[in-house]
Amino acid sequence: MPQVRIIAKNFMDMVAALPAMKLDRLYQNAFICEAILRSLQPLAKKYVIQMCYIEEPITSKSLEEWVLPGGFSKHKVAIDRLLQLRIFSESFDRTTGTSYRMNATFQINLQKLITCGAILPREPMPSNITIRLPSSQELETYALQQWECFLLQLINSAQVERMTNISPSMMRIFQRGLLTQRDKETPRLTESGFQFLLMDTNAQLWYIIREYISNSEEIGVDPEDLISFMLELSFHETGQAYNMNTLDEIQRNTIKDLEDLGLVKLQQGRKESWFIPTKLATNLSVSLTDSSSRKEGFVMVETNFRMYAYSSSKLHTEILRLFSRVEYQLPNLIVASITKESLYNAFENGITAEQIISFLQQNAHARVAERVPSVPENVTDQIRLWESDLNRVEMTPAHFYDEFPSRDVYEAACDFARECGGLLWEDSKKMRLVVNTEVHLQMREHLRRQK
Amino acid sequence: MAPAPSKLYADDVSLLLVLLDTNPLFWSNCALPFSKFISHVLAFLNAFLRLHQLNQVVVIATGYNSCDYIYDSSSATSGSSGTGKMPVFCSKLLENLEEFVIRDEQLEKGGPGGGIASSLLSGALSMALCYIQRVFRSGPLHPHPRILCLHGSQDGPEQYVAIMNSIFSAQHSMVPIDSCYVGAQNSAFLQQASYITGGVYLKPQLLDGLFQYLSTVYATDLHSRGALQLPKSVGVDFRASYATFLLLIACLNFWSLPSGIIIISYSLSPLSVIRMSRCFCHKRTIDMGYICSVCLSIFCKHHKKCSTCGSVFGQQAQSDVASSSNKRKMSDS
Repeated sequence: MPQVRIIAKNFMDMVAALPAMKLDRLYQNAFICEAILRSLQPLAKKYVIQMCYIEEPITSKSLEEWVLPGGFSKHKVAIDRLLQLRIFSESFDRTTGTSYRMNATFQINLQKLITCGAILPREPMPSNITIRLPSSQELETYALQQWECFLLQLINSAQVERMTNISPSMMRIFQRGLLTQRDKETPRLTESGFQFLLMDTNAQLWYIIREYISNSEEIGVDPEDLISFMLELSFHETGQAYNMNTLDEIQRNTIKDLEDLGLVKLQQGRKESWFIPTKLATNLSVSLTDSSSRKEGFVMVETNFRMYAYSSSKLHTEILRLFSRVEYQLPNLIVASITKESLYNAFENGITAEQIISFLQQNAHARVAERVPSVPENVTDQIRLWESDLNRVEMTPAHFYDEFPSRDVYEAACDFARECGGLLWEDSKKMRLVVNTEVHLQMREHLRRQK
Repeated sequence: MAPAPSKLYADDVSLLLVLLDTNPLFWSNCALPFSKFISHVLAFLNAFLRLHQLNQVVVIATGYNSCDYIYDSSSATSGSSGTGKMPVFCSKLLENLEEFVIRDEQLEKGGPGGGIASSLLSGALSMALCYIQRVFRSGPLHPHPRILCLHGSQDGPEQYVAIMNSIFSAQHSMVPIDSCYVGAQNSAFLQQASYITGGVYLKPQLLDGLFQYLSTVYATDLHSRGALQLPKSVGVDFRASYATFLLLIACLNFWSLPSGIIIISYSLSPLSVIRMSRCFCHKRTIDMGYICSVCLSIFCKHHKKCSTCGSVFGQQAQSDVASSSNKRKMSDS
């Protein structure tokens, strides 16, 4: 799914965009080094491991000797990424050419990680203090419930029965970019809001976390602290209890927000309180790599454009409503049909046919997922056709020129427009032409010079 | 073993099956002490596990008398934490390894009363392949498997047939066998194994830098191998593989002949053209020998009956076609 990659990359870009000093400080945490290592491309990972114990600079030539002719683009991408994240630093020498050396902090941490393993700043609490820990099944249901509840509130606060504890101001920050509100109207989802809903959970999570981190800057919390805390959290063990005392003030505030997102579950004992990371938290560092996720699907599409969704989730109903007409709802089944009107509605809101199709394919019910294609071809074709119906006319902002004084001026103008690559239409008999708006200014300059 | 349905799989998620040579007869004479060797390997395994959350390592100890799984990262509790001295998985692995070595020693009865002190590579390879088959059958989503033989003992000729079978089986299921040979002379078995399955064979020159060899060459996932130039084996001892290949062709020729001449294939035919491999009866490396045209077994001298499939040889061309087709059925006699 392409969006996942964009979001995940954006997060790593956010890390890469940190100033050099902060980045170096981030690398002092071994867990961040590991998370960053995992987020790299396969080839870059190999280079890091290979260089792990080499303290001398390595010339780019000797690295390139390993690369097959077909692999140069991959090699380049990998090296660029390593330089961008400041894991490699580049130096140039006249005799040996460019050479790379590894960031010393990163290197030492990686060496420690490999030989000694890393120690979490907190240990799981012994089971005699914690009363009853939820089973992994319970924890997963809990996490998904929290997350769906949050999403539902995000897109449509009127529908929610149980509000999460996220402050309205925080909610507004998350909604920024996803919803628009003209005065006195109910908020509407924007184009990116619709696309957000069709992404998979990990991508959505990263989007929210990114917003959360960039917002933290505004309230005076160092984004670097948050990034390292989140990444550290992803290395905790799912289902284990960790004492709240081990957290500092900022982290304690953060973890309360994370509970609302379903990343952790907080529990209170007689004396102490603790948090239990859920799968959503431990998957944080997994989703950094661009891999496709698979989850239990629930949608079946029939050749007659009827859609059966085995789900009781309100969120799913809302998502399906984005591009189909929900006909009736049973306790565990949503029956909807894809119609021309419902799709036009979706296209108007900025959802593309490809997104709808990939959503249907990715969420296909296990029974139909085995079939090829999982969504009937006539349906996917029709969805694409309906989309292209809307795109018959292409609009280009343009300027119309008329009443040239002489044929020479007209021809020169035509040639000039053609050279600029902005000539859209010409009528030499009546001496008229249409140019793209982008070259309008240059064109005007040109004509003025002619006079 | 069935992976959770919510697992994510990228191109570079790998399953690494490490065959660890624990043969005491080899390590007692090796320039590299076993403790150093194992610390390099553990560091490498840890580095490999760090590369991707879903990377999986299975370690199989190859002893003198037995072989066994000693570590499986999928069944161990996850978590990268450690005691500060050593990652958790290492202590677990070392514990199992110790138990294994003791058990292996107890199995020893007669003592190394001569012969070649080889490890049970064929058994370990078969175990690894069984594990991989199980992973393949667990569902459509599984990591890319590969086998890494960390071997030092000499080749055991008596294992030749079993090892070749394993190699072809690995080739069939497209599992590359990488091999890192720390012994004195090159291992012909492992060279062939890597050559046939498209893996990498390497004999490190400086054993002190074993980790660097391991991390530079063997940490590369199958996906990245398409872009990289990894060490290629020079001068593989092809005797076994060539023989088998040529024998196949030879026999296909026999079978394609008109039915009247099929009788020839029941007699042992010496094939002097081909450089031969180890014979099945005495495990000697031979240049010329006899093959059974029914099952392709190789013998250094003439036998009356094939010891592998039981076909009776020595029927001469005087018997007619009808009787030959009867003979063909009595392979078990």
